Amino acid sequence: MIDFVWLVPLFPLIGFLIIGLGRNILPKAVAGFIGSLTVLLSFAVSIAIFVQLESSAVKTHIVPLFDWIRAGNLLVPFSFQVDPLSALMLLIVTGIGFLIHVYSTGYMHHDAGFSKFFSYLNLFIFFMLLLVLGSNYIVMFIGWEGVGLCSYLLIGFWYTNSAYASAAKKAFIMNRIGDLGFLIGVFLIFATFGSLEFAQVFPQAANLAPNNPFLILITILLFIGATGKSAQIPLFTWLPDAMAGPTPVSALIHAATMVTAGIYMIARSNILFTLAPLTLEIVAIIGIATALLAATIAVTQTDIKKVLAYSTVSQLGYMFLALGVGAYTGAMFHVLTHAFFKALLFLGAGSVIHAMSNEQDMRAMGGLKKKLPITFITMLIGTIAISGIPPFSGFFSKDEILAHTYQHSKTLWVLGVIGAMFTAFYMFRMLFLTFYNKFRGTHEQEHHLHESPKSMTIPLIVLAALSVVGGFIGIPHILGGHHWLSQFLAPVFYQSSVRTGALTLDHQTEFLLMGVSVAGAVIAALIAFVKYSKNNHVPLADNVDRGTLARLSYHKYYIDEIYDFAISKPLNFLSGFFYRVVDKAAIDGVVQGLGRATTEASKGLRLLQSGNIGFYIFMMVAGIVALLLYGFYNI
Amino acid sequence: MDVIITISLLAILVLYLGLFKAAKALLPVTLVGLLVALGLTFNHWDLANNTKSIFSGMLLFNNFSVAFSALAIISTFLILMLSKDYFERISANVAEYYTIILFALTGIIIIASYHNLSMLFIGIEIMSVSLYILTGIKKRDYASNEAALKYFLMGAFSTGFLLFGITLLYGASGSFDLTEIRNYVASSEEISPIFYAGILLSIIGLCFKAGAAPFHFWTPDVYEGAPTLITAFMSTVVKTAVFAAFLRLFYISLSSVTLQEFWVPVLVVLASLSLLIGNITAVYQQHFKRMLAYSSISHVGYLLFALIALSSASDSAVFLYAAAYTIASIIAFAALMVVQKQVGNDSFDNFNGLGRKNPLLALTLTISMLSLAGIPLTAGFIGKFMMFTGALSTYHTALTVFAVLNAIVGVFYYLRVVVAMYFKDAERNELAVPVYFKIVLVVSTLATIIIGVYPGFIADLI
Repeated sequence: MIDFVWLVPLFPLIGFLIIGLGRNILPKAVAGFIGSLTVLLSFAVSIAIFVQLESSAVKTHIVPLFDWIRAGNLLVPFSFQVDPLSALMLLIVTGIGFLIHVYSTGYMHHDAGFSKFFSYLNLFIFFMLLLVLGSNYIVMFIGWEGVGLCSYLLIGFWYTNSAYASAAKKAFIMNRIGDLGFLIGVFLIFATFGSLEFAQVFPQAANLAPNNPFLILITILLFIGATGKSAQIPLFTWLPDAMAGPTPVSALIHAATMVTAGIYMIARSNILFTLAPLTLEIVAIIGIATALLAATIAVTQTDIKKVLAYSTVSQLGYMFLALGVGAYTGAMFHVLTHAFFKALLFLGAGSVIHAMSNEQDMRAMGGLKKKLPITFITMLIGTIAISGIPPFSGFFSKDEILAHTYQHSKTLWVLGVIGAMFTAFYMFRMLFLTFYNKFRGTHEQEHHLHESPKSMTIPLIVLAALSVVGGFIGIPHILGGHHWLSQFLAPVFYQSSVRTGALTLDHQTEFLLMGVSVAGAVIAALIAFVKYSKNNHVPLADNVDRGTLARLSYHKYYIDEIYDFAISKPLNFLSGFFYRVVDKAAIDGVVQGLGRATTEASKGLRLLQSGNIGFYIFMMVAGIVALLLYGFYNI
Repeated sequence: MDVIITISLLAILVLYLGLFKAAKALLPVTLVGLLVALGLTFNHWDLANNTKSIFSGMLLFNNFSVAFSALAIISTFLILMLSKDYFERISANVAEYYTIILFALTGIIIIASYHNLSMLFIGIEIMSVSLYILTGIKKRDYASNEAALKYFLMGAFSTGFLLFGITLLYGASGSFDLTEIRNYVASSEEISPIFYAGILLSIIGLCFKAGAAPFHFWTPDVYEGAPTLITAFMSTVVKTAVFAAFLRLFYISLSSVTLQEFWVPVLVVLASLSLLIGNITAVYQQHFKRMLAYSSISHVGYLLFALIALSSASDSAVFLYAAAYTIASIIAFAALMVVQKQVGNDSFDNFNGLGRKNPLLALTLTISMLSLAGIPLTAGFIGKFMMFTGALSTYHTALTVFAVLNAIVGVFYYLRVVVAMYFKDAERNELAVPVYFKIVLVVSTLATIIIGVYPGFIADLI
């Protein structure tokens, strides 16, 4: 089946073409069915590939399709690489993608752009699959850009709202900044290694000594690309705004799949990063800083999707922390479990929003437990999972990351635990504000409250089940497991693990670390319970004066404003200057001057054609004489 | 050889058909005859490319002449398809029209396959005399008469130079045969000055026929005065034939290094002048047909590149460029005829709003203009690309830069008609485009794009 891996991206592409071309003819039911079916087919193929790879002795398969670019010594084949890493990503993308497609058939049912929505969604899946399947940086880059495009299209899906359209542009532009870094990194890889194929670059890189300046530069550039796509400092501000898109989009693109592309890319290039410890240090610091920054913003947000968005940024920070301390498996583990519970939480939030007639402010919710029982229970599971409380999935992946962090640096570990406590706090805050106490919305909203249809609740239930059991694929030895995921991914990270070595903590320390982080999470959850459930505290209205810290957090540390002042304004000024002075006056002057000069020359030359045959022959003879003179002197 | 006989007999047959008032049969018979001739042409196709000359070395049919003859016949075929209902409107002597065009074609095929300078001269004369008549065939039209007279006067003048050149070449080498002349150049210690003079005079004669500056003065006036169909014939088939002749003479006989050092600078100057005058003057023209006339001068400039960078690749470069230029021009002239018929004149304003009313016509004309301007994915781009590659590989960097700058100027005036068609609105009725025209337009456009996307199949022909 591995040889037929091209089927996996082909199905969504076909779906995109059918739905996209027939968007005005196809009934909604058909468009939704085709959209979901194509992804389901891809998922089925992905499972077959996974099973075959699991039992196969050879763990890396290159499946060439055709030679795409052949120029000089640059040869870029369009080929796919199937190995444990891409096989895992295939399952995440198509599996969760399928659930979200099904969910969307219910969620988007009343939307006029239903077919358009599904065509974009299928296109996104196609590009995401290219990204994870490409066997070289160029194919990966196509996917990388393609998912960015789809993200843009879907954030601005309701483009008649100009704020949403701006959010889409913001996401696209911020991503472009990162993409530039990625692209230059790719050029540099070609310049250094003479190839862009993973299978040729990585073995060469493995022979280099650590701290090679080129490697450091390449990895920093790649990391800049990752900060754009995966919303890290300083390029993270687009992700909260991206919540303008329909909620299934937030779940699929801005939580489960696309935003983890940066982590995937670094995990894929792990050997390059392992040999550049300086870059890894930067990655770890940026990761933990982002995790804390986003977590502290999330604690005061009142928009249910904004809370989840900052939570996503924060969890992505944890993944980068994991990469930074060399815990590549831990990072991919967290990608997987996060995909389960964050998709679940977003879809649950979507179910709430759906029931609340598009109300997203938690101050207007409350007491939804009875009205939306399935949504409540599944979101409760998601909240426990993300808070890192055992035995739910988030516990295992977060524990693995923190254990590696502890071994790497105790300070980072302390910060990590603090971040985890924040996580538990704001998540339970969200849960209590939404589902407990009395309903605070309008009477009309209360009248409309209803549990979502089956197409929406079934994906919730499936994802909840995965959030519960998903962590069991990575039970550490200390808890009596043998960490299947780590063994499965071992071939991908082999070169790195040889250099970094395994976890060397003794059992006592490991138990202690687990105990501390679980206790922290439980305490944070209890505080949230006391404050928002028992004491029935409701966040203040927008215009009420807050304390300094709360204000900073509520206004997201004014980072957007700072960017606007420090970057956008000067750029706009510079742009205005170039437009008025350099372009309009200088360049246009020269260009138009040349045009006018040509026209004038034309006016003059035209007169030669007088219509007088005597003059013609005179000119000819002049030419002939000139030629003969030339001949005379040059024989 | 059988091609020449077939077309000559066809011409006489058509003349008789005219005599017996079988006006309806004229076009079909001509077209069928041309198809037969085309088939016969390929008889001489030889993959090994080692055909012997015939008639005591007078003619040599090899792949080169087959390719150019076929191009000439196909172009004539397309142009004649545009003539349905056209001749009847402008002249009473329809049969003579077809006959004379066929005679001109006979001359052209001789030009494409000569191996003896006397045959070159005979071919050029058969072609030229036919063209003089065709130009003036609107007997009652002063512009047509004036154009014919001018063409004849200047043509006669330049033919003298060509003949004199041939004579001098003969005087120095003692032979009209191309191979013999080459042997003379290779064997003699010092080449006679007479021979050099002969080269210069032949260049003058051929450049006049091709319309290279400064021997181009006849082209704008004659192209404008002649019936549009004849203009199309002159600016495509005739030019191609002259370049085939040019290439054959210079490649077979005059390609030794010493000789090249002598005549390459001359052609560089003539090519630059043609580019400059053709392009710059075309900018200010307000009429489509006159613009095409000037632009044809600039295309001669580009074609001369193949001679300047003379090599074994030159023949396929000329062939491809000529094919691209010919089919694009045929589209342009076809569109011109449609517009002219309806509106009566061909100023650019008369193309306004054509994009909305006649989408097919506008689209094909746009592709033709893009091809003439040398935009990628059209045949014209490939042609220019081959010309420039050749020039660069022989280190004519300055000339190439100059040509590229000229090509930019070209884009301006070619796109003018596109702008008029799509971006300017005008109250107008849909033009009636006859079926024959549609066929020619579509076929030529497809050919333009196919050559542009996949040039290999035509460039490797020769």
